[in-house]
This record gives sequence, C-alpha cells and structure tokens, in this order.
Amino acid sequence: MNKLISLAALTVLGSTLGFGFAASSATNPVAGDLIALQKERIAAYKAAPKKRPHVAFVSNGVADFWTIAKAGAIAAGKSKEIDCDVTVEFPGGGLGDQKRMLEDLVIKGIDGISVSPIDPTNQAEVLSMVAEKALLITNDSDAPKAPRLCYIGMDNYDAGLLCGKLGREGCKGGKVAIFIGRLEQDNAKRRRQGFIDGLLGRTPDATRYDEPNTVINEAGYTIVGTWTDSFDRAKAKANIEDVMIKNPDLALVTGLFEYNSTLAVEVIKQNNKQGKVQLAAFDEGADVIAAIKEGFVLGTVVQDPYGYGFESVKVLNAFCKGDMSLVPANGIISIPAKVIKKENAEAFWKDLKAKIKAGKDAK
Amino acid sequence: MKRALGIIGIFVVILIYSAFFAENFLSGINLMQLTTRTALYSILALGATLVIVTGGIDLSIGSVVCLSGIMTPWLLIEKEWTPWQAIPTVLAIAAFIGLCHGLLITRLKLQPFLVTLCGLLLYRGIARWMTGDQSQGFAGEFDDVRAIALAKFTIPGLTDYRLPATVIPMVVLATVIGLFLSRTVWGRWLLATGRNESAARYSGVPTARLITLSYVACSLLAGFGGMLFIFDIGSAQPSDFGNFYELYAIAAAVLGGCSLRGGEASIVGVLFGVATLRVLQNTITLAGFSSQIEFAVVGAVLLIGVAADELIRRFAARRLERVGAAASH
Repeated sequence: MNKLISLAALTVLGSTLGFGFAASSATNPVAGDLIALQKERIAAYKAAPKKRPHVAFVSNGVADFWTIAKAGAIAAGKSKEIDCDVTVEFPGGGLGDQKRMLEDLVIKGIDGISVSPIDPTNQAEVLSMVAEKALLITNDSDAPKAPRLCYIGMDNYDAGLLCGKLGREGCKGGKVAIFIGRLEQDNAKRRRQGFIDGLLGRTPDATRYDEPNTVINEAGYTIVGTWTDSFDRAKAKANIEDVMIKNPDLALVTGLFEYNSTLAVEVIKQNNKQGKVQLAAFDEGADVIAAIKEGFVLGTVVQDPYGYGFESVKVLNAFCKGDMSLVPANGIISIPAKVIKKENAEAFWKDLKAKIKAGKDAK
Repeated sequence: MKRALGIIGIFVVILIYSAFFAENFLSGINLMQLTTRTALYSILALGATLVIVTGGIDLSIGSVVCLSGIMTPWLLIEKEWTPWQAIPTVLAIAAFIGLCHGLLITRLKLQPFLVTLCGLLLYRGIARWMTGDQSQGFAGEFDDVRAIALAKFTIPGLTDYRLPATVIPMVVLATVIGLFLSRTVWGRWLLATGRNESAARYSGVPTARLITLSYVACSLLAGFGGMLFIFDIGSAQPSDFGNFYELYAIAAAVLGGCSLRGGEASIVGVLFGVATLRVLQNTITLAGFSSQIEFAVVGAVLLIGVAADELIRRFAARRLERVGAAASH
C-alpha cells in the first residue's frame, strides 16, 4: 500500500515538474510579446474595469527614501479619484529577497506591480514572470529591456549630471573620488556616469561609460576612482578614510547613495577637512542637510520618492481601468531631481520630515 | 604565543609589503584609523574566540551587533532615554541573548550552529521591526557619548598619531581574557571543555556552566562592539548593519590560531588575525587594487594562513615524535 502511495506521489510530482518545465520552456516570450500581452489585458479592462484593483510598490532596499515613497503610494491608494488597495514591500536582503517578494505578490494575484529592480539585466526572468501574470512598471531604476509598460522616476544620468555640475561649480579642479554602494544597478551606473560627465563639462551622452577602475584625467580634474562597499557602512567609511589618506590633496568627493554622502560628512568632520575637501552629495541624509546649512557641503541632488510612490499607484490604477493615457510615447514618466543648496535647505528639510512622518504612520 | 607565530609572520609580511607599496600607509593618520578598526573588530573576535574555544560557534554576532548598534541611538534619540539608562539596557539585552543561547545549547542540548543561526535571523528581524526599518543615527547629538569610540589621546613626541580610545577596551578585554584562559582554573577548565567535553565533565568540570558563560561573554562583547561601531559610524540601517561581521570575527579567531574543534586559543594570535584582515583591506585601497578583489584576497590569505599553520603544526609534531623515538632508543 505504502509503495503504491509513493508511486502515485512520484507520478504526480514527476508530471507536475514535467508540466512546469514544459510550460516554462513553451511560455518564455520575448519582452515585446509580454508588453503586447499586458496591453491586451488593459484593453480588456477598458470593457470591464477592475472594481478595486490591488497594486504593489516594491523598493530595491530599505531606507528613509523608500519610507517617503511608501507615504506617496499609500496616499495615492486612499485618494478619492484613485481608490485601490496598495501593498508596499521593502526587500532588505538584496536580489534574492526582491525576487521572492515579486513571486509572492504574483501568487497572491496582484493586479499590477511597480518595482525598482536591483539588477535589471539579470532579473529578466522574474520581471517577465511578473509581466506574464500582472501589469509591470518600474520606478527609480529602470529596466528598459524588461517588458515594463513604463518607467516612473528621474533620469539618473540627468541627476548625476546635476551632481557633477554642483561639483564643478564648487571645485575648480583637482583630485576627485566617487563613493557608491554598488554599481550593479542601472541607476547607479547612470548616476555615476552623469556625475563624471557633468563634472568634466562633457557634452551629455547617456550611452558613454567610463570604467570604474580607470583614472580619468580631463578638464583639470583627476577622478582617482570609484569605490563600492556592498552596503557595509563600516567599509564605506573606511573607503573614504583610506582614499583621503592615499590622496591628501583630494579636492572633491561625491557619495552617490544616501549613506555614502552621510559618511563623507562624518569623515570630513572627523578629519577637520571642512572646506578643504568639498562634497557634492546625493539624497537627503539628515547630516548632509545639516552640513549644507553649516556651509561645508556644496549641495545635494534629491529625488522625489513621494512622487514615485504616488504616480506608480496612480498609473497602475489607471491601467486597471483600461486607461493608458498617462504614459507618454517614450514610456518614461519623468519626475525630475532638484538641487538643494544652503538657501533652500531649511524649507526642504521641513517638508521632508512631514513626508517621512506620513510614511511611518501610513498603514 | 607559539600558536600565534604563524599569523604574526603573515602580518609582518603584509606590513612590509604595505609599507613599500601602499601609498601613505605609514602615515600617522592611517595607522591611527587602522588601530581604531582593529580595536573595533577585535572586540567581536575576542567574543567569538571564547565560544570557539568550547568547540561551539556563534553565527549571531553580526545580528547582535545590529540589534545593539541600532537600539543605542533608537533609545537615545527616539525614546529620549539618557545614556545612563540606554547603555546598560543594551548591554543587559546582549548578555541575556547570550544566556538564552547558552541555556538552549547546554540544557536543551540544541546544536550551537542551529541556535545561533536562528539568532542571526531573529535579532536582525527584531531590529528591523522595532525601528520600522528606519536608519538610526545620533542626529548631531550625544557627541560626548560617542567620544567613547571617537576620542583620541595625544602621545608625547608623536604629532600625526593619536591613540584611539577604542584601544582601551581592546587591551583591557584581551588582557582579561588572556589571563582568564591561561592563569585561572576556570580558564583551563574552559579549554579542557573544548578539548573533550565528556572527559572534562567526568573530571568534575562544570562544563554546562562554562559553555553558558562563554556564550554570555560572546554576545555581551558583540553588543558592546555594536555600540562602539555605531558610535564610530554615526548612523546605521537595520537591514544591513553588521552583516557578515560574525564571519570576520570567526575568520580572525581561526587565523589567529583557534581551532574550530575547540580547546585551543591564542589571544595574541586573534588580535594579529584581526589586524591582518584590516591591514589587507586598507592596503587594497592604498596600493590601488580594485576594491572588487578584496574578498578574494582576504579569502586567499585566510586559506594560506590556516594551511600554513596546519603544516607547521604537523611538521612540529613529527619532529617531536622523531626526537621522542630517538630518545627511547
């Protein structure tokens, strides 16, 4: 009897696996097919709009930045003209964690997902899986080759350009070092390239790519390198300290992720390098804003995460009603970055605190 | 001390290489920062050593670092506790975590790997839930408290180098643990427990109490280390703070001559193990190597160090056997 049960279980398992394999190899459509599939779904929604859609917003990590985005997403879900259920997920464990969350959301039967992919090139499979079962859009970091219906965010290359120009304004030449959490994700690469091009006064070209390990000597600046830390803050701090020791004449640093800039402020203060080493910062770390107000940081380039969250939910909700009119022809809904300097730092900070509070309280 | 000779040798070789090829390696400020980093990681490695000596392992060190490191500014800034309330509370929680590990391992007879693996997930999860996944920092306050890790003492005659305050707990802890292991009955019992727990127990050694004590000390030091790390860094994110720090601590202990089978330890070796890993990381940046190669270099040095140590030990044992055999003839 036991043998019979085992045999039956094996047969079921084998056929399930076989079916799964056959299904996955048969249905592995290219991005274009999946976009068409999603558009068909939206067209069907036009005839029969989804009553109360359930959409999700998935970040690429955990940070205050994403708390603000959450506030935007939840606020959009609650607003009268949108009215849908919103789930917000913050993967804290990197790629694997994000993949698991996306899979779970799809299994849960989510109608649409806005995701900030950590590594778009190598996440093609999971993004395709989402597009097969739900509506897929990206935010913050784009995955242009994935079957996403649109991208919401700023162009990271343009934001990098702003940061580079900030550095160029405040530092007229000399050695420059770049610090960033990791370079795998699209937004990191583009932001770094934008910074380099903006600093060196090059003609903007988002397709340009300078290797991270090469020293760039151009326009009176020497970019000594790019250092990554895989989000280990002790390592990130050590990187800045070590580079300052190796290059005592360092003139400018940039931290292209929020904590890189915060730690750069910390190291500059600890080594009494205020005014000697300039910082062109990124994002809205509390210490960075305080240092801008004190006057020893040139400024910071900030995004609008609240807008990313709000627009994501708004667009996905519209899709579920059969409306694609919010998406421009190029598929990019641009929410531009802005520069915070000494003169607008205080007003920005107050507004930010209110949004963070709203994000924390959001349920 | 003999046990530490291998790692001291490796350390000296790396030091000589760095002195010649890593720009500004010997500058006062670089040595000062290296001392700070070595001291911070040493506190974790000393705790790991006490557990490894018993033949156990603590995989939760990084998560305890995270929990205590995150809790400190959270209590001070968000909950507005005074340092006199916050610091003892955080340390007590860390010690309690160690007590739970010890009791689960000795009373419930659970595997140390399993207990501390669960701890690794549990404490980070608690830190993330407690803070709502928000990064925690001192918001420009409590500079006097942060001075525990950030203060530097001037040494007469030296202009560039000032002694970091973190050296004090490192030296005190290393001395106390070193003396405990080599000069006290309890220390010898701890080593005997690691060598052969059953034999030690039948000889009347209170093995369960000693093993529990070692886990309490390990978590307490991880908690203290986490607090110093956050004082040094200023802010941290619960989802990534302290990730893999248990591996750095265990690697330094093993590199320093501790056997993962238990019963063997060298506190001097552990300190050199930590220093070697820190100097390697520093040299990779200063000598202009790509930072992507760092883990590969650390892994290779660790492997070479452990393999060399094992070969030297075998060679010494064979030589001893030969000498013994010659003497008996």
